[in-house]
Amino acid sequence: MNYRTISALALAFTGFLAAQTPTAKTSSKNWTVPRTPDGKPDLQGVWTNATLTPLERPAAVNGKATFTDAEAAVWEKKSKDDEAKYDGKADNPIADSLGSGGTGGYNALFVDHGTELARVDGVKRTSLIIDPPDGKVPPITQEAKARNAQMMRSMSRFDSVKDRPLGERCLTSFGSSSGPPMLPVLYNNNYEIVQTPENIVILVEMVHDARIVRMNATHAPTSVRQWFGDSIGHWEGDTLVVDTTNFTDKTRFRGASENLHVIERFTRVDAKTILYRVTIDDSSTFAKSWTIEYPFVATKGPIYEYACHEGNYAMSDILGGARKAEAEKEKK
Amino acid sequence: MMANGEIMKIKHIAAIVSAGAMLWAVPAWAHHAFAAEFDAKKPVHLEGVVSKVELINPHSWIHVDVKNADGSMTSWMVEAGSPNVLLRRGFTKTTIAPGTPVVVEGFQSKDGSLRANGRDITLPNGQKLFLGSQGTGAPYDEKGK
Repeated sequence: MNYRTISALALAFTGFLAAQTPTAKTSSKNWTVPRTPDGKPDLQGVWTNATLTPLERPAAVNGKATFTDAEAAVWEKKSKDDEAKYDGKADNPIADSLGSGGTGGYNALFVDHGTELARVDGVKRTSLIIDPPDGKVPPITQEAKARNAQMMRSMSRFDSVKDRPLGERCLTSFGSSSGPPMLPVLYNNNYEIVQTPENIVILVEMVHDARIVRMNATHAPTSVRQWFGDSIGHWEGDTLVVDTTNFTDKTRFRGASENLHVIERFTRVDAKTILYRVTIDDSSTFAKSWTIEYPFVATKGPIYEYACHEGNYAMSDILGGARKAEAEKEKK
Repeated sequence: MMANGEIMKIKHIAAIVSAGAMLWAVPAWAHHAFAAEFDAKKPVHLEGVVSKVELINPHSWIHVDVKNADGSMTSWMVEAGSPNVLLRRGFTKTTIAPGTPVVVEGFQSKDGSLRANGRDITLPNGQKLFLGSQGTGAPYDEKGK
């Protein structure tokens, strides 16, 4: 199968998905979609995807996809109260869930993950995942389990900088902030979109990754592999559809393989909001494709540079710590 | 006025959250593995004065001079958060003046260098270091609704 065939299949699949274009309501009758000189919806500006809504629906609200505003207020207050309760404590389950290993992380002031749950069509969501309807990542295939076990083993090695994860090495963002799919993380949840008829650039504050979406293009040959994949875009009505393939085996979104196929949809739904819907497909990793939906909300710029290598003392601490542990083991 | 059904739903959610459910949206893997960088078996308690604030990426570092019992001085570096977050909250590298007294609770780095995570950074009176600074301490207000 040559790459033209693959491109044709990808386009056919994209066409199939067009039937599922978001139809989110706009919040104001007086608002009209702003447009660029070539008549396309103008997505440009600085946006944030910070949210308290987790990717997967917490077990505590199984079967419940949305909250009323009053329910959401209780949930949001609990999140804020927990943050204050554990702030600065060594025994901090929030920091531990982020891998602090009992060190407590650092003050909550440094965390910036938003103050509200994600709101779509005026209703607050309990998970970013909308399909499967249970709000959970689909089961992982046996093949992927074996692959991920190997990956986890390599992550526990400290022999070389190359053993460490890409985020730790300051090469890419962590937690799929850049994606695709793009997901909110603990801080730096800011994005700037710059648009021309030929290219759309998504600048991600976390590790200042810039993804270039080539408009009305075909995918590069499958031999051309990129860490953020190869993103091509087109307009379906007023929705920007971005199709990304040609990943490497390095970024491994939630254990995905290089066969990952991501289809993102960006739709301006009001003056302050882009509705982002993204479908993730990798049959070698997930039992079925799955879909995330949440808003990007307009925020004040500018985007700040996040030149992660500038003072990445952590890497020498981590590798130096491993050397010290080895030396101590030899002494015994 | 709320219908009874709505009140029951809110009570239900309140019951769930008070049962201790963790509600946080957390990434699968954190940026820098604190567990790999700092030693949970080496807690440090530092009382000293700030000598310098490095507002650098990926995390800011606060340099603290700690006076030892024999009168000598030990300089520690304390890891804090993303400078981007601090800048948005009005915090700059001059917000904490050199000479500001601080108390740091943290854990020393695994390689034995004089670096620690700033798990808790306060003024000697217990006030959070940054919360008393102008323009900081509250979520910035331009977040869209």
